Order: sequence, then structure tokens, then C-alpha cells
Amino acid sequence: MSALLEKFSQASLPEIDPAFDLLRRKAQKVLMQHGFPQRKTEAWKYTPISLLEKRDWADAETDRGIADVHLPFDAHILQVHNGRVNPDNMAAIDGVEVRRLQADEIDTSLYVDHDSTDAFAWLNLARLEQGWKIRIHASLAQPLALVFTADDDFAQAVHPRFIVEVADGCSAELIEWQDLNGQGLINSVMDISVQANASLEHVIYRDCGDTALIERSHVQVGQGASYEVHALDLGGCLTRQDLKVDLTAAEAATRTHGVAALNDRQLVDYHTAIQHQVGPSHSHEDFRILADDRSMGTFNGRIHILQGADDSHSDMNTANLLLSENARINTKPELEIYAEEVTASHGATIGQLEEAARFYLRSRGLNDADALALLKLGFAAAAFDTLEADPLRDVLIAKLKAAL
Amino acid sequence: MLKINNLHVEVGGKEILKGLDLQVGPGEVHAIMGPNGSGKSTLGYTLAGREGYEVSQGSVEFEGEDLIELEAEERAAAGLFLAFQYPVEIPGVNNAYFLRAALNAQRKARGEDEVDSIDFLRSVREQLKALKMDDSLLKRAVNEGFSGGEKKRNEIVQMAVLQPKLAILDETDSGLDIDALKLVADGVNRLRNEERSFVVITHYQRLLEHLVPDYVHVLSHGRIVESGGRELAERLEQEGYGFLAPEENAA
Repeated sequence: MSALLEKFSQASLPEIDPAFDLLRRKAQKVLMQHGFPQRKTEAWKYTPISLLEKRDWADAETDRGIADVHLPFDAHILQVHNGRVNPDNMAAIDGVEVRRLQADEIDTSLYVDHDSTDAFAWLNLARLEQGWKIRIHASLAQPLALVFTADDDFAQAVHPRFIVEVADGCSAELIEWQDLNGQGLINSVMDISVQANASLEHVIYRDCGDTALIERSHVQVGQGASYEVHALDLGGCLTRQDLKVDLTAAEAATRTHGVAALNDRQLVDYHTAIQHQVGPSHSHEDFRILADDRSMGTFNGRIHILQGADDSHSDMNTANLLLSENARINTKPELEIYAEEVTASHGATIGQLEEAARFYLRSRGLNDADALALLKLGFAAAAFDTLEADPLRDVLIAKLKAAL
Repeated sequence: MLKINNLHVEVGGKEILKGLDLQVGPGEVHAIMGPNGSGKSTLGYTLAGREGYEVSQGSVEFEGEDLIELEAEERAAAGLFLAFQYPVEIPGVNNAYFLRAALNAQRKARGEDEVDSIDFLRSVREQLKALKMDDSLLKRAVNEGFSGGEKKRNEIVQMAVLQPKLAILDETDSGLDIDALKLVADGVNRLRNEERSFVVITHYQRLLEHLVPDYVHVLSHGRIVESGGRELAERLEQEGYGFLAPEENAA
């Protein structure tokens, strides 16, 4: 057993429905066989999971606490405190069904290739305590917010799992709001299905401090449906986001955007994979990382246009700013095309702020600090240009501004 | 207003200005002409306080203050404005936001209240209209995707909003067609008054037909070698810089 698996296994786990127990044991077996990614594992070489080995994980708690939640915008709130949803703390929401996940709803074939990149998805199953299915069966006027909170002394490794379905023709906004304390690990798996002609606007906000976050999302987009995501990461000791979007039918579309503003020794690693399975389908991607101090940011974006996904369109851009000599940014766009008549482009830049731009702003009266902040904000906020102008967007921009 | 005395400036260890003298009084318009490489833009950048433009000798006094001691933003707040030869693109920062931030920063530095946002927008819209620029420009990122002429006109809009005491126009006429040139000249003329002064750096006499200067100076090899009235500009137009001493003209 690997040192890391042993660490996780030391903490106690509550009893669970026997059907899940089988899954847990299966997952444990896979993990024992294949282990966790190593430093030399390509997809994980910039995510130092050795950090997790150094921590002693606390036992699972039976007490289901809650924290006060105040969001600066209107939303239906579903709270995930210390990695768990408290069913006593759930209000009914019109148009949304929230219920516990059944064991047979978990499709382990998604991780069946035993690729080491999926070790954390298996870990999620091996240590599963509860899973939730969120089915959105009407268009929502207000966003649905999954609000992750954690106690100051949070020191557990928790593995929440969600399946989100947006039914045919419905449109909704899903916000993951993660403002975390403690020194735990939240290793979550979220499988999303946006069914025919539906649309989902997904906003992810993370400010994680010393709680490590490993999140794996797999999104299936149906015919004429659209999935749009905007992620804002204000850093944490270790944030890893794997985002896989499959465009499974004609006229499926996705727009993926992310901004990470990092300082100190923060680390964010984005791995995105967009698969055009059927054509014509459309994808647009824009990720930006600003790395200051000794922080490290990684963007690995893969676009895969399968044979037969003809007439598809894809463009990917990643622009990055190095704000200190000791910061690091790794960026790797990958494009694989097996279809005909596609238009695909990608661009990647890593740069520094231009002296000329700084001088231009100062010559108009802004002091150096304000000029710098404005340039950084301008650079980063471009990824939010496509977000609808609403109170949430203003909140995100204000958060970003405060972080820069 | 502006007193430049024996100014020597080095850029990257190379001396570009070599003992420049110039005095500009309130309400005066001075044109500075000269061949490429004579130090015209260096003068503009030095006055505006760009890093890397080292004053090795001489002095610059602006409104009785030692200009060299001030940071670029302090010079702006004191009333100095440089219209750039190549205005810089600032992606992601919209024009209206930028202009208001700049104006408020200057006002704050002068101990004045922030500008009222409705008054501000009204005044910017008036300036845009006068320069035949579309309102949509306010929502666009500063200079991003602007044509050459739009960038130059945008400099004049900024100048009109910021209302400096002394404006230095660095080849604002280059790259403009006749119509745009006239708009820019009109924009400057509207701002002329008994208090406000201009230093107009240009290659050609063309701009000076619309923007009549009180004084014309010829800059060559980092020094002012000839000064006169507007007739000097006309002579330069006809004769070129050939009449300068051969040593002066070896650009």
C-alpha cells in the first residue's frame, strides 16, 4: 500500500449502505494495485501530492455542523460543510430535486482504464461517505449555489460526490462557492449532464487557504445544449482541477474560462480536456494565470476532435503573467484533430507586465501600485468578459481586484 | 511655466540631449521640429518622467518646482500631460474607467474631491463628439484595436478631460489624414487659453497651419540650434534641414 493510501486509511470512516461498501472495496483494490500518480506521471508532475502525505487526517465526524453562509448575491443555497451535505439543513427548491445518490448510479466505467490520472476519482469512491444527485428539471430564475464551508480546525480528508443533471430544454446557473478554512482535503467528483437543448452556466469560486482541493468534473453536453464555466481561483496550498467536457451530439457547445491569481506559495493546476465527439460542435477556451511571489500555476488544455466530428470549431487561448522571478507558470495546449473541415486554433503566452503600459498609466496620474493593479485586473478580467453582467460578476471582479 | 536649462539626458548610457535650453511661458505654443534622431521624443519622455531617461546635467523647472525630482504621476497631477507618439494599448481596461481613475488620482493628489460621475461622463461625451469619435469607445479597452488615427484622437480626448497646464504633443500629427489632423488641431485650439501652454513636437509644418505656434525651435543633435517665429517653420518646409551647419545636420 502506498504511503499516501495508508495515510488516508488511518482515519476512520462511517458505515455506509452495503451496496456502497462493495464500491468502496473495489476502489480500494484498484488503488492498491495502481497507486497514486508519481512525480514522473506526466499529468501530475506539477501537482506535488507529497504535500498530502505530510498530513495526518482526522477521523470522520458524526456531528453534522453548519456554518453561517452569507452570499453577496441571491441564490438557492445548498451547503456542503466540512465536505458533507446536512440533509436537515436543506430547503426545498422549486424545479430542483436533490436526493442521495444510489450506488448503481455511479458509473465506474469512467475510470476503468485505470489511468493513474484517475486515482483521486477512485480514492473518492474508496472513502465515499455520501453522494448527491441534483436534478434540475425546470429553468431556474435564481442560481443554485453549492456553498462549501469548513471549520477553522477542519483537518479531514473528505470525498464528496455529485451528479448534476440539467433536463432537456432547461437553463440554470450553478455556483460552486468555496471559501475554506482549516487544513483538510476536499477531493470531490462532479459528473454533470447537460441534456438536449439545455444550458448550464457554471461558476466556480475558490479561496482555499491551507485546505487542499482536488476536483474532478466530467461534463456531457447533449444536442444543441451548452455548458459554460467560469472559474476564479484566488489560490490555496494545492488546488487541482480536472475538467473534462464531452460534446456528445450535434450543435453541442462549451465555453470554458478560468482565472487564477496566485501569490505566496500557492499552487493551482488546471487540466482540461474537451472532446468533440460529434460535429458540428463548438468549443472556446480561455485560461489566465497571474503568478506572484513563489507561486506556481499550470494550465494543460487538451482539445480532441474525434473522427466524424466534422465541421466543428474550437479555439483555445491561455495567457499568463509572471509577476515575480520566483513564480512559475507551466502551460501546454494540446490539439488533436481526426475530423474533416474543422477550424481549430490555439495560443499560449507567458509574459510580464510591460513597462510602457505602466508608464502610460502613471503619466496620466495613477501611482505605480494603482497602475500595476489596474494592468493586472485588466489582464485577468478579460476571461470574465463573456460572463453576463450581473451582481455575481461584479462580486467576482471585486474579489479578483482585492486579491491582486 | 517651464524652464529648461542646459539639459543633458542619457538613455541606455548614450547621451541624447546635450545641453538643451527652452523656456515656455503661460499660454504659449512652442513647436519643436527637427530631423529623426535629434532627440525630440527623448525630450517628451524626459519631461513626463519615464524611467531610463537619466538627467545627467542641467535643470527643469515647472511652475517653480524642480520637475526632475517628481515621479511621473506627480508630474501629471502638477498639470503636465504627454500625448504619446505611440499610445499604448491596455487590454481589459475600459476607457471610461481608466480616464475616471486617472482624473480622480490627479484630483486626490491635488487635495480635490472625486469627480461627479454624471458630470464626468457628460464631459467625456462632449469631447468624443468634438473629435468625431463614437461613444462606444468608452466601453472599449484603452487603445486596443484602435486605428492609428483613433489612438491619436484618443490622446486629445484624454488631454481635454484632464485639463493640463502644459501639454506636450509628441508627433500627434504623424499618421493622421487631413481630416483627422484638422480635428486634432481644433481639439488643441479649443483648449488654448492664456494659462495653458503647449509644446508641439512635429516633423512637418502641416500641423502648424492649423495650430499656429508662437515660437518654433529646431532641435538637432540634442540641442536647440535655431529659434524663431512661425516663419521658421515655413522656411524649414521649403528648405528642409539643409541650412543647418553640416555638423548639425549629420543625423
